[in-house]
Amino acid sequence: MPAADTLTLPRPETGAAPALGGAWRVVVLNDPVNLMSYVVVVFRRVLGFDEATARKHMLEVHEQGRSVVWSGLRERAEHYAFILQQWHLTTVLEPDETH
Amino acid sequence: MKRIEVKLHLPAVAPLLDVIKGAADSLRDGLAAPLRVEGLDAEFRGEWEAELAAAQNEDVRLLLALFGSEFFGTGIVALDEGNAEAVARACAAVRLRLRGRALAALPDEALEAGSVEAEQLEEPVRRAFMCYVFLGTLLELILSHLGSAFLGGGAAPSA
Repeated sequence: MPAADTLTLPRPETGAAPALGGAWRVVVLNDPVNLMSYVVVVFRRVLGFDEATARKHMLEVHEQGRSVVWSGLRERAEHYAFILQQWHLTTVLEPDETH
Repeated sequence: MKRIEVKLHLPAVAPLLDVIKGAADSLRDGLAAPLRVEGLDAEFRGEWEAELAAAQNEDVRLLLALFGSEFFGTGIVALDEGNAEAVARACAAVRLRLRGRALAALPDEALEAGSVEAEQLEEPVRRAFMCYVFLGTLLELILSHLGSAFLGGGAAPSA
């Protein structure tokens, strides 16, 4: 069974990497295909949300086109983005300017 | 281990399988949902894409395995905690691929609202749409009966 919740690819160290410090947001974008019930289960499965929180974020995605589902260090944000992408939710990372 | 068996109407489902297999095979060419994460260096991005593609292909393999010779004998597909997650992801992936190709002309609003009139579509779009609906129904069955099995881990630490 694919290890959907355990796989973390190591980020190679590169001296020329862009500035990736600080906090980053994991943002899930809307698509017209994935079922609402599926998105709720994925949020619960991947991000550990309770049902109410998962539904809140799902509705944000559906109604506003996007939802910030996590914020924190870049490496962890990449981990979540990777797993959400494995579940076929389109995900982007953006700097969290509130931190 | 929790297990469900779904009895399908063979004459209705069998004609859809070639379309599903075609869409599934096309996923070997790329990811169902485009990778839009920025700021990854080229090598790391390539590793991500390769890992995601490999996982996607394995999921799709498990979906197609439901419709082997046993299915054509009984009309039954069996799902359990061992394959449900992968089949759920594969259903999502194939639906995305169908939407992106065979169903590309359908408006987002109609798809999201479930207001597409299948009988008004021309072949082969109608058949692709029936596959899209069928995979959505299969996905809902999995979530209803085995979704709780998905929720054993993955809690996010605080930032």
